[in-house]
Amino acid sequence: MLPGSTDVQLRERLVAGDDEALAEAYERWSPLVHTVALRITADHEAAQDVTQEVFVRLWERPEAYDPDRGALRTWLCAMTRGRALDSIRRRRTRDRHQTTAGAAHLATQRSQPDVDEVLTWEQEAKAVREAVRALPDPQREAVRLAYFEGHTYREVARVLRIPEGTAKSRLRRALANVAHRLAEEGILER
Amino acid sequence: MTTETHSGVSDLLGAWALGGIDDAERAMVEDHLRTCITCENEARRLASAASWLAVEEVRPPPSDLLARTLTAARRRRRPTLLNTLVQAYETQVGSLDDVLGGLGPVDWRRPDPRHGDVRGLIVHLTGNDAMLAADVDARIAAPTEDDVHGVWHEQSRLLMARLTDAGAGSGPGLALDRPARLATRSGPVTRHLRDALVQRSFEAWTHRDDLAALAGRPLGPPPPDQVRRIVDLAVRLLPGALAAAGVEYPGGGVRLLLENSGDGEWTVQLGTHGPVERIVASVRADAIGFTRLVAGRRTVADLDPAVTGDVGVGRRVLAVASTLGCD
Repeated sequence: MLPGSTDVQLRERLVAGDDEALAEAYERWSPLVHTVALRITADHEAAQDVTQEVFVRLWERPEAYDPDRGALRTWLCAMTRGRALDSIRRRRTRDRHQTTAGAAHLATQRSQPDVDEVLTWEQEAKAVREAVRALPDPQREAVRLAYFEGHTYREVARVLRIPEGTAKSRLRRALANVAHRLAEEGILER
Repeated sequence: MTTETHSGVSDLLGAWALGGIDDAERAMVEDHLRTCITCENEARRLASAASWLAVEEVRPPPSDLLARTLTAARRRRRPTLLNTLVQAYETQVGSLDDVLGGLGPVDWRRPDPRHGDVRGLIVHLTGNDAMLAADVDARIAAPTEDDVHGVWHEQSRLLMARLTDAGAGSGPGLALDRPARLATRSGPVTRHLRDALVQRSFEAWTHRDDLAALAGRPLGPPPPDQVRRIVDLAVRLLPGALAAAGVEYPGGGVRLLLENSGDGEWTVQLGTHGPVERIVASVRADAIGFTRLVAGRRTVADLDPAVTGDVGVGRRVLAVASTLGCD
């Protein structure tokens, strides 16, 4: 994929009130944002709501994104995860008695995305899958609890019955391992 | 910064990147990141890795979500690009007007390399501005006086009133994709209003610089966002201009890396066939210098670009870019 413009340029156009820039940001990052949202919420409707919220927020306050502090994709993913976890929390308080069978439905429903886009994303997804799979079990479990279930490292320590220091270092090493694998695949900078 | 804080924070970076720390710790980590480049680099790398975690299988959203999202977004914040473009144009017009106001009778007869003299230059500008005025249905009275500055000034005032009313929502609306003509050396070309507005402020700035150059005064660069919009416009016009000049490399592109005020990265499509799949050359140059090249005020040699890859193609693109202006 050859990005047409940098994060700085995109942000500047959003600040200038250029809604075509929003459409471009959406075209480029919505597969990622929606994937993260779906993975965390396991609910199609919630994932779409989160995706919409994330891009509406980007449009409303593009100044909140600081290019000096990292890539737009990283920023969008962090926001998506936060909103997705909020959505789960809201759902849990709303219907404690209903079981969520969301995950079971996921495999059967698919949208019809652009073929070339998907090819690129599929290759990247495969690399991520392999990077995560290559993690030692204790690291993978710590990441699952922290990232996908929204636990702090202290809670991770409690759930896994390990010292807090161990939880911290597992999370750090897990991400360093993923970063290393993704850099080898050319997805992250070395 | 103490060594203790440093090691305390670096231990927390994994948890921080995964969002797994409380607010007080996050504030501490982020304070430290502002002062410690080692931790900042690690933090950036881990946060980037974390952003990929959920992407084990890609699930793009349904296609109708784009329209719903754009509608919701526009309801929350009105697109204001028209205002932004009009304000930028207004600033350039005001600045040119100031310079014209300071010219004496002798200055108006100073020779200009493209339009005979300064008078001819402003008559040329007035003609190009009139095209936009007609395209946005601005009420412009036919010039009755011989005062070149006065005619241009009055036309600009009426055009600007039409544009600012539309931008403020108080006059008939103007869609940015409404057809509007651009001035080129080979005659008008119909594009969109957004392009025409960028070109008008570009031309006002260029002619102000022409006057400064004639008077031996220093040139004044426009703000960086305006420089980038001029480059955006040039990058949109280039594929057609390259095709017309016989430069067609289907799937090929040239990377444009512009530096200093107005910096950024652009990809120029080599011809009119299909999206860019591979970069055949990279051009690194000064951003404002590039816009002056597009205005025809600099040659490729003046710009002194660093070209890598297929050097011939890179320089050819610049040579064609230097013909995009309208004099």
